[in-house]
Amino acid sequence: MKKILLLLCAVSAFSFAASAQDTIKTTGDAPLVLTGSVDTYFKSDFSGHANIPTSFANENSSISIGMIDLGLKKSVGKASFVGELSFGPRGQQQSIPNADPGLVAVNTPIGNVNYPGSGVGYSSYHIQNLYVSYNVTDKFNLTAGYMSTFIGYEVISPAANFNYSTSYLFTNGPFQNAGFKATYTFSAAASLMAGIFNDYWNVYQSGGKVNTFGAQLTLTPVKNWTAYLNVVTGSSYGTEFDLTTAYQITSAFKLGLNAATFSATNGYTGGFSGVALYPQVAVSKAVTLGLRGEYFQTSTGTFLTAGPPPGQSVFGATFTANIKAGPLTLIPEVRVDSSSKNTMFTDGGGNLTSSASQFVLAAVYAF
Amino acid sequence: MKIFFIGLLFVSFAKIACAQQDLLSFDEHNKYIYYQVVNMPGLPADSLRERGVYFLKSAFPKTFVKVSDANGVEGEGKFLTYGGISVLKHEKGEVNYQLHIEFKDQKYRFWLTGFVFTPYQRDRYGNFVPQQGINIPLENAITKLEKKDLDGYLDETGAFCKQWGDKLKIYMLKAPAQKKEEPVKKVVTDKW
Repeated sequence: MKKILLLLCAVSAFSFAASAQDTIKTTGDAPLVLTGSVDTYFKSDFSGHANIPTSFANENSSISIGMIDLGLKKSVGKASFVGELSFGPRGQQQSIPNADPGLVAVNTPIGNVNYPGSGVGYSSYHIQNLYVSYNVTDKFNLTAGYMSTFIGYEVISPAANFNYSTSYLFTNGPFQNAGFKATYTFSAAASLMAGIFNDYWNVYQSGGKVNTFGAQLTLTPVKNWTAYLNVVTGSSYGTEFDLTTAYQITSAFKLGLNAATFSATNGYTGGFSGVALYPQVAVSKAVTLGLRGEYFQTSTGTFLTAGPPPGQSVFGATFTANIKAGPLTLIPEVRVDSSSKNTMFTDGGGNLTSSASQFVLAAVYAF
Repeated sequence: MKIFFIGLLFVSFAKIACAQQDLLSFDEHNKYIYYQVVNMPGLPADSLRERGVYFLKSAFPKTFVKVSDANGVEGEGKFLTYGGISVLKHEKGEVNYQLHIEFKDQKYRFWLTGFVFTPYQRDRYGNFVPQQGINIPLENAITKLEKKDLDGYLDETGAFCKQWGDKLKIYMLKAPAQKKEEPVKKVVTDKW
């Protein structure tokens, strides 16, 4: 026992000493880093059944799971990689494609687009990000792989979103784009990314072409305000123009905005457009309150969205609090959506109605 | 015996945890400061200045030098703070600081102060990036950060300052290495 305790002391002393050295390291390659998150939630739609069709947090009257997200990254010199895997409904069938096209595909389309091999019940690699990156110079970077999309304000990872439920703009836009991109930083106030991506959004493997063009102009007009002007366009899916911006006006108040318009191609007509505003105020070091107000409308045509039918619109108001306790964030949220016609939602009796409302309580642990 | 060793372990841990933070003091403006005066017998001020400037260029090349005159150097720099242990350790934020070095014959002094913490957040690509617009002076940070986190950042700041000062002293003790022109051996082919 004495030997074990002595050994323990020695190991502890060594690890503390090693830790002290690590904290003062100023040069050299970054260590291999493991990061990620875990999330779970309870949702109650006031109609008694799930109504709001946006992504995630969609299981009603249930304590449900989101996902466990595990990311590995490493940088050596100018080269780096990120590999991020997710397990759970949010990080599997609700957001990413089937990895094995040989298995039966169950179509769970977003709108009327059937992603190749998407849906419940098949094999998937569960990849959120998998890319390699190389800094050719301090200002010029090349990246290739399967990456979170550069479009939009919200993302799949609950640790990187303020609201737990998601917007119509997020749900109907791309989640990931596989491709090759180059980013050049002109100055602290401007940079430009341009890349070529697979023909379809959210696929590990293209449908036979790598013909989607994407670009992002990043501008910082004043300190603490950044704007991203994005475009993704290709003949297999369509063209989306997107503006995503956030301005930390004071240390306590942040205002974000996302506006986008999408036109479908490849035999479809129509599309969607919308705008979402994200004011957030920190009321204490542990609590931040936020509102998401979103207006989303669809164009007349044959393209269907996860939202109102073509030619209609919906307005969603989501009030969210983030209550932090160390790495854990509790997210109570109330959401009310109201559509232009009685075509989207149903009330407790199953009759079509023009509004829906829900309460969500989520817990997200990030590490 | 077991209790003794466990107690020893806790005492060692507490001592190490506190040690780095205690390196920082408060200045007359109630700001954290790391201040040192170092004697350099036999070395004139201009040599010390040359070595100090060489130190910033070589050891901390990303330092932004604001003023560099005969009396001293002023600039700004930053370093990353980390949280977690072992493989779970990743960037938690960055601390920006101001640096001052002054030179006199046979001695120099320096201080690091104006420490401002900017937390990092995870972006969509799995990287940790600065949270725009959140700049927290370490002196007031207790109102914005958890105490445990703040203690960790102060420890890292103290450790960084000590290493910075130790490194500066190493550079001050020896003249900057001059690049020697290696004679290139050439074969003359027109005479044989």
